[in-house]
Amino acid sequence: MNKAKTNWPVQILITLGSLLILFPLYLTITIALKDPQQMAQSIIAWPKHLHWENFSQAIQMTNFFQAFKNSAIITIFTVILTLLTNSLVAYSVARNMHKKFYKFLYYYLVSAMFIPFPIIMLPIVKQTSAWGMDNIVGLIFLYAVYGLSFNIFVYVGYIKSIPKELEEAAMIDGAGTWKIFWKVIFPLLTPINATVGILTALWAWNDFMLPLILLSDKNDATLPLVQYVFQGQFSTNYNLAFSSYLMALAPMIILYLFLQKWIISGVTKGAVK
Amino acid sequence: MKGTLKTIIGGAIVLSLSTSLLTGCSSSGKSSDEKTHIEFFSSKTENAATYKELIKEFEKKNPKIAVDLTSPPDAETVLKTRLTKNDLPDMVAMGDSTTFTDLSNSGVMTDLSSDDIVKNIQPTYIDRVKKDYNKHDAVYGLPYATNGNGVIYNKDKFAALGLKDTPKTFDEFIADLKKAQGAGEIPIYFTLKDAWTGMVAMNSVASSMAPDQFSKDKTDKKTTFKDSYSTVADKLLTLIQYGHKDNLGVAYGDGNIAFAKGKGVFYLQGNWAIPDILKANPNVKLGVFPFPATNDPSQNKLVSGVDVLFAIPTSTKHKAEDEKFLKFLLQKEQAQKYTDEQSAFSAVNGVFQNNPILEGYKDSFATGKITSYPDHFYPAGFNAANIVQGFFIKKDKDAFLTKMDNEWDKVVNRK
Amino acid sequence: MNRRKYAFLIMTLPAVLLFFTFHTYPALQGIFYSFTDWHGYGPWTFVGLKNYINVFQDDRALHAYLFTFKFAITTTIIVNVFSLLIALGLNSKIKGRNFFRGVYFLPNILSVLIVGFIFNYIFAHILPQMGNSLHLKFLAKNILGDPNLAWIGIVIVAAWQSIAFNTILYLAGLQTISSDIYEASSIDGAGKWREFWSITFPLIAPFFTINMVLALKNFLMVFDQIMAMTGGGPGESTESISYLIYNGGFSGGEFAYQSANAVIYFIVIVLVSIIQLRILQRREVEM
Repeated sequence: MNKAKTNWPVQILITLGSLLILFPLYLTITIALKDPQQMAQSIIAWPKHLHWENFSQAIQMTNFFQAFKNSAIITIFTVILTLLTNSLVAYSVARNMHKKFYKFLYYYLVSAMFIPFPIIMLPIVKQTSAWGMDNIVGLIFLYAVYGLSFNIFVYVGYIKSIPKELEEAAMIDGAGTWKIFWKVIFPLLTPINATVGILTALWAWNDFMLPLILLSDKNDATLPLVQYVFQGQFSTNYNLAFSSYLMALAPMIILYLFLQKWIISGVTKGAVK
Repeated sequence: MKGTLKTIIGGAIVLSLSTSLLTGCSSSGKSSDEKTHIEFFSSKTENAATYKELIKEFEKKNPKIAVDLTSPPDAETVLKTRLTKNDLPDMVAMGDSTTFTDLSNSGVMTDLSSDDIVKNIQPTYIDRVKKDYNKHDAVYGLPYATNGNGVIYNKDKFAALGLKDTPKTFDEFIADLKKAQGAGEIPIYFTLKDAWTGMVAMNSVASSMAPDQFSKDKTDKKTTFKDSYSTVADKLLTLIQYGHKDNLGVAYGDGNIAFAKGKGVFYLQGNWAIPDILKANPNVKLGVFPFPATNDPSQNKLVSGVDVLFAIPTSTKHKAEDEKFLKFLLQKEQAQKYTDEQSAFSAVNGVFQNNPILEGYKDSFATGKITSYPDHFYPAGFNAANIVQGFFIKKDKDAFLTKMDNEWDKVVNRK
Repeated sequence: MNRRKYAFLIMTLPAVLLFFTFHTYPALQGIFYSFTDWHGYGPWTFVGLKNYINVFQDDRALHAYLFTFKFAITTTIIVNVFSLLIALGLNSKIKGRNFFRGVYFLPNILSVLIVGFIFNYIFAHILPQMGNSLHLKFLAKNILGDPNLAWIGIVIVAAWQSIAFNTILYLAGLQTISSDIYEASSIDGAGKWREFWSITFPLIAPFFTINMVLALKNFLMVFDQIMAMTGGGPGESTESISYLIYNGGFSGGEFAYQSANAVIYFIVIVLVSIIQLRILQRREVEM
């Protein structure tokens, strides 16, 4: 790049655009910190007196920490399970694509991406509850299974680019297939693991539909589900509602502030490949 | 780069293992406190605070039992989903709706007819709910509170307009609305962003006709909406002229606040909205009156239904605890507390509504000038609320009535 | 070598079986039930193609298809145009590039449902207030209450969130283009506009293909926003297919009927995806 001067028109447009992104978040924070009287004066202005008690009230009302714990457990275990199993399947498929059976598996799994969820929605509700899976464990399981379609697609593309010589060398050293995968291949998958891990984490953390239809016990509720469930009880108190929204959004935002570069490059690496 | 990733993944694993160790299996551990937990599912959100207080008191008296209240939005969908899953809660509090009829008739509710607690309840209400069962001598639900679907009005504004008596005929009501409009007030505060609030108006206006007969005739193809609902549609079109400038943009919750703060003279809502309105402004002076659907005062009745009934699914494993809680709720003291806080009418013997706000309904209850909700007899899956909402937007009477007819026929035909 | 074969089989089989059990099997079940009159509980009988025939006569279903496609196509176009523009902006010489990149990606990490709730408030309270004080008539009402405009509200929310992800993908694509190519063209005296269409766009065409396909597929599934903002209203103007199947399937007791609807939906999605891939790939080759 030549050392050209700042492109001011673009700078201004980009800055204005970013305000559009930040405004709803600013609004969420201010409303969360006001009381109804302050709202009546001005919704947008920053409050002079901050009502932190909105948060403690919302925590109590929605049982925030329970929901946070549920969301965290679901997200963390979904990511771990997805990374370990999906990469394994992809490796096996990628290395055997010349065989009819594996080729069939590849297309079977990937084409499932085109099956719209609503066709599964009604039966899966019955199935999971009949098998006692209408809980957190069932959710983790389903996320790992449903992610397979897309992840196989991403992983196989990447694994194909890893030269087979590496494995052959390890095989000559007497390493078995499993050992080769864990010691040679899996470490090489790190960039793509990051991609899959981030996308899976975002999905599991933010998903609303599966928890809505699947979970029965309200003690299992995730953060988005809790926001929905309390919608009726929030109805006349926006300050309480927004402090609850803010708390539900905050963990991801905080994580993002620290890991921003890593998350963005993780997402893009998978795509550029 | 690689180093950070490893640390992060390592950190995540350590974190997750430690949380799972710390929490043990508590995500599924209902019995971690050695109490019997019963799940109490409520289809209303307005009364959650009252239930919570009642539950607190109950738990104090019964330290071995914990009652977990669930009251999700769109609760009937949730309940049906859970029926599909064979996972009904331990106890249900819901309105006497099509969903409840469906549940009762599919045999998933306990027949409480032999239980002594039935005697606590006014027989008329039990009979009303019974009418819809396939099995006529069963009692699947115990009515607890009833409601009045009519008009709430702002007494101060009403008086300021120089009005004294609440309207007894439709024409009188329209005259009042005109007067309000002339004085620069919003005559009726509509909250049609939530489709169901349109049904409050619809049910009120349609109340003069025998609703169960209409539904039977409609299904038997003896009548149509086009034949019977023409005047109803006209009256709805008249009413919507007296709204505000964003009738369809305001939701129920916002409407309660706005009405509490003095927007609108009249509010087409049931008594269940009163607690929320008062919460938003404790100083507002409210009154109610039955919606005058016709110009013959003797024909005008209050639309009233069972707002809350309790039912115990047969699948519960805690029937004894459920009954204990049920008995507790049906005691006079608790029923009175519920009636007072929720501005409801009680189905429990000897419990009366003494709130002056609801004075306007007293006569209707005393003289039995009461009728059922017309939409109570609509077939399940018939999406009347959204069609009515659409009518308020397009204001095309013919299209509306045709759509009501066609959709009804299709839904019945799909069964 | 046999052991290696065996190991590969063990690596795949359990996962594939699970996938079959929790994905394919329920999908087959859904197809099966679509030929019955099951309510989701209680007894049932076979009714043949009755449900399918009824779906085709159902205005509500037809309208849901129209709305879903109108919404998905509009949002896909808006999202791709804006994210390409933003990506070009972020790729040019500006101050605080990394900061802005971070800001623009932010919506992608947020819960769709909660963002829906927040925007619901903005549409109901903030915008009408602004409209009233600025005397802008079209803003003075809640657009979610207007059956002709409500879908635009949903487009805005969906776009606000989805632009984030697509921007990052386009940006990644733009960064793969080496600056030498541009330098060569600027010597030729090519204008910015021509430079974009003759150099930049062909080079990021694969990203364009991926973005278009993924975005359209996602938007055809729209559900969370509807739940958070309109509940399908006003009237039935914002009922998406996913929402209709959920709502009708569970609350309306039309489990079997909506299963038939879902099967039709599946066929439609497959057709759309095939057509889309064909067209976009042909374009790519031509360029």
